[in-house]
Amino acid sequence: MSASRASRIQLVLIMALLVLLHFYLRPRLWSARVSPDFLLIALVLFSMRAGPGAGAVAGFLVGLVNDALTPTAFGAGALAHTVVGYLAAWGRAVFFADNLLVNAGFVAAALWVRDLLLLVASGTPQGRLFVELTLNSPLQALSTAVFALLVLAAFREWFAIRLDV
Amino acid sequence: MASASDRSYTRRDTVLFLVCLGLSLVGLFSPAKWGHGISDSLRDTVLAPLVWLQARAEEGRTSRARLKAITIQRDSAAILAQGIPSLVVENERLRQLLTLSRRIPTPYVAGEVLHQAVATDGKTLLLDVGRSDLVSEFDPVISPEGLIGMVLTSAERSSIVMTWAHPEFRVGAYTAVGNASGVVAPSLSSSGGEGALEFRGVPYRDSVPAGTLVLSSGLGGVYPKGIPVGTVTGVVREQAGWERVYRLLPAANPSSVAHVLVLVSSDATSMERAFPSDSALEAMRLDSLARIRAADSIAAAKARRADSLAAAKIRRDSIISVRARARRDSIAAARPRLPPPPDSAR
Repeated sequence: MSASRASRIQLVLIMALLVLLHFYLRPRLWSARVSPDFLLIALVLFSMRAGPGAGAVAGFLVGLVNDALTPTAFGAGALAHTVVGYLAAWGRAVFFADNLLVNAGFVAAALWVRDLLLLVASGTPQGRLFVELTLNSPLQALSTAVFALLVLAAFREWFAIRLDV
Repeated sequence: MASASDRSYTRRDTVLFLVCLGLSLVGLFSPAKWGHGISDSLRDTVLAPLVWLQARAEEGRTSRARLKAITIQRDSAAILAQGIPSLVVENERLRQLLTLSRRIPTPYVAGEVLHQAVATDGKTLLLDVGRSDLVSEFDPVISPEGLIGMVLTSAERSSIVMTWAHPEFRVGAYTAVGNASGVVAPSLSSSGGEGALEFRGVPYRDSVPAGTLVLSSGLGGVYPKGIPVGTVTGVVREQAGWERVYRLLPAANPSSVAHVLVLVSSDATSMERAFPSDSALEAMRLDSLARIRAADSIAAAKARRADSLAAAKIRRDSIISVRARARRDSIAAARPRLPPPPDSAR
């Protein structure tokens, strides 16, 4: 088996694991608004390794899933995730994406940007927007980043992650 | 694995991004019916296993299965379970729901709320019941505290609820004392307060004091009459001397609710009996407490009787055995001594 094929299989396995965690572990954790978003972790990790085009498509699909499950404003999730997927791939070229903390930081930032775009696109009133972006989103970004750290640390060989910080 | 930093960002990437962005915008600005249709079919097909998985996980978390087991093993486990705060809260909510379901005069379906990890969760809720459970569009959704919203779309095994936090939510309402009526809508202005409702269209001459309970009026044909919507907390604004808009503290919180009841046949039946006033509810609670106490005292009396019977039996048995032993001893003492056997004489 060639190296690129093996690494593709590894990536698919991790994505599948994250999807399972999102739908089976996350509901068992804390409140839905602060529990980690495993789909977003999967999206950021995938986009950073697959490039902007594939990242945008993956973001669109993840957004479509979110829109199907919470259709407050259908299309808002797809829009927010598409932008996040594209930006995550673009950010990879700018930062040292082999570093564990940089990856976790990417995930946290991506979640906050996703929430900002999602709330604005779904026409959230100013007061609620402020509360969401200053209270709930940072908390969820933190919990998601922590779980992203755990995933990256567990599969650091597959992601070629450096553990020095 | 191919490193993205090694890649030159091609025109293909940009085109893909723009296509996805365009599709998202089309979805966002297309009629809501299209979006709901797509999300319903996605939930019924591709996402069905994932929704099923989450429903099982939610079930595990909200401990419906555990609650059944606790009920069965109540004698040993209830005391321990009551000590766990989350289970206490969960039990209390389920009991409230159970009490409410007994009082509801119309058919209903109990549903579990599958909360999502996105910021818009709370404006719409995903339920694990759908068309196969007779849930259809416009069915009202309630919790023990009051009105949650109505079913927006229903797929085969799941449905989406538009809660009162959704910008398009409206319900005709009146005050519990009956002195004012209007329309309740979510507060969209920052002055309205976070997570608050507005009681609009109240004539200027009708003054509603703070603390007044506001109920659904039944007008419009979606929500039955008498479901608590919220409590008046103050005046938001007055419009040109002909209308007052009041701020309401919502009766139920969609973000934290775990179980709801969907009224699958909400005809003109009033729900006032299902949500009695505080004093009536207190009286009902006291009545049920009295019944429980009476049942407990009967059980205790039975246990005491069983204990005393057991003690009496033990006493009787011991007396009989003592008497029997005494009789054997006295018979042995009265028996004459026999001469020693010949061997011992030798």
